Amino acid sequence: MAKIKLPDDDELTIARREVIFYKAEKEKLLSELIIARKELVFQKEEKGKRAAELGIANIELAFQDEEKGKRAAELGIANIELAFQDKEKGNRAAELGIANKELAFEDEEKGKRAAELIIANKELVFQNKEKENRAAELGIANKELLFQNEEKEKRAAELIIANKELLFQNEEKEKRAAELIIANKELAFQNEEKEKRAAELIIANKELLAFTYVSSHDLQEPLRKIQTFVTIILENENKNLSENGKYNFQRMQLAAGRMQQLIDDLLAFSRIATTELKFEKTELNTLIDEVKIELKDTIQEKHATIEATELGSANIIAFQFRQLMYNLISNALKFSNPDVPSHIIIKSRIEKGIKAVGTSRAISLQPEKDYCHITVKDNGIGFEPHFSERIFEVFQKLHGKEVYGGTGIGLAIVKKIVENHNGVIIATSELKKGATFDIYFPAN
Amino acid sequence: MVPEKLNILLADDDTDDCNFFEKALKQLPVQTNLKIVNDGEQLMQFLTNGENKIPDVLFLDINMPRKTGFECLAEIKANKKIKDLPVVMFSTSNSHEKISTLFKIGAHVYVHKPSDFSQLVQVIHHALPMAAENIFSNGQIKYILNA
Repeated sequence: MAKIKLPDDDELTIARREVIFYKAEKEKLLSELIIARKELVFQKEEKGKRAAELGIANIELAFQDEEKGKRAAELGIANIELAFQDKEKGNRAAELGIANKELAFEDEEKGKRAAELIIANKELVFQNKEKENRAAELGIANKELLFQNEEKEKRAAELIIANKELLFQNEEKEKRAAELIIANKELAFQNEEKEKRAAELIIANKELLAFTYVSSHDLQEPLRKIQTFVTIILENENKNLSENGKYNFQRMQLAAGRMQQLIDDLLAFSRIATTELKFEKTELNTLIDEVKIELKDTIQEKHATIEATELGSANIIAFQFRQLMYNLISNALKFSNPDVPSHIIIKSRIEKGIKAVGTSRAISLQPEKDYCHITVKDNGIGFEPHFSERIFEVFQKLHGKEVYGGTGIGLAIVKKIVENHNGVIIATSELKKGATFDIYFPAN
Repeated sequence: MVPEKLNILLADDDTDDCNFFEKALKQLPVQTNLKIVNDGEQLMQFLTNGENKIPDVLFLDINMPRKTGFECLAEIKANKKIKDLPVVMFSTSNSHEKISTLFKIGAHVYVHKPSDFSQLVQVIHHALPMAAENIFSNGQIKYILNA
């Protein structure tokens, strides 16, 4: 139904529209009735169809019964068939038994072959082993050869190294030789220098000797004259002198005497230090005898005995050693005990240096070397042990000059002489128990 | 055997020492003629110019001007005519070396000049006969005389 276009919004229009609308509603209902009728028609038709279908289904069932019968018949046939097939299967099984036997035989054959093969394999294995053994032996032999080659190479390498070493050593030797040549030149130069120094020393010594001579002669000369004049005055002018005058002249004489002693001792000391050291084999007893003669008066005065038997000979600077013995013996006489006659024992023997070890002065001795050991022992007043080194120093005295005269040079000279003999002197004493002087100097 | 009057020659440059010597000789119980020379040259001249009698003994100082006692002694010993002249060396020195050198050259006696006059007298007294005896023993004995 087509829509009607409405002209204006007035009531008429609306009414018309309502009429139109109601008409449309009637038509709608009409159409719905038509549809419902048609529906009924259709449902009647459907009932008819169902009935038809039922009829068909009955027919069908009948047909199916028929079919079942057919099938049963077919099953019978199939059973027959199966029985036949069973028979056939039995036949086949028999055939299989035969075939199995056949197979067992073949298996046996195969086993035999296998055994043969095993033997053959063992053989092969053995042969292989042998081959391997040979191979191993060859391997060892090869290793041996390799080792020997290596060793040879090592030896070759070592020889090369040794050669290099030798070359190096040769070079070093040449270097050393060159160094020695230089060192020799150096030594030659040093020797020259030493000779120069020695020559200079000789000159210096000569100068010292000249001084010694000047001292010995020129200083003593006027002194001696003073002393001589004093003695002449004391003798010839004795009556003309007062007691005081005589006393003063006597004091003058004493002082001059001391001065003379000092000059004498200083000279002796410087002479020991400056003169040439000439060693010669000398009988020690001869020296002692000479000293005894020189000291004759004192020996008598002190009622002294000097024991010195078979001292033997020694390689010494004779006039120095005489001086040494003189100083030691005169010292022993001078410091004798006034209550006891002086007894001096002199001994001499050859000893190893080790015998003297234990005293500080003997340190410089070599233990295994032979030394001439001379002992001068007295029974005099001795000295305290702590003076044992000091007594050898120049001008060192242990007593006032009024008690014991002397200048304190005597033992310094002794020490100097011992040193000139490359030796040592050791003094041992205790107060009032005498003194012992041990001298060690090389025996050769 | 000492000759009755000894001819003594003294070679010394020191006046005091010469006086001491002369004085000492006078105290000896020996008759002596003393001749003094004052240096080594004078001494050698006196001994060798042929005009003088060779003395019985020579007292020879060592330290003298112009010619020392050493040189004189050596010349004396080298001279045939006077080599037997007894020589008493006379010195202040007491150096052993010096003395042994003198003996090697040919001195017979060495006298160490004493500082006491009476000792000087004694020493000369001892030395004189020694030197005189040496005239007969060819100078082989050596003596050192100390005061």
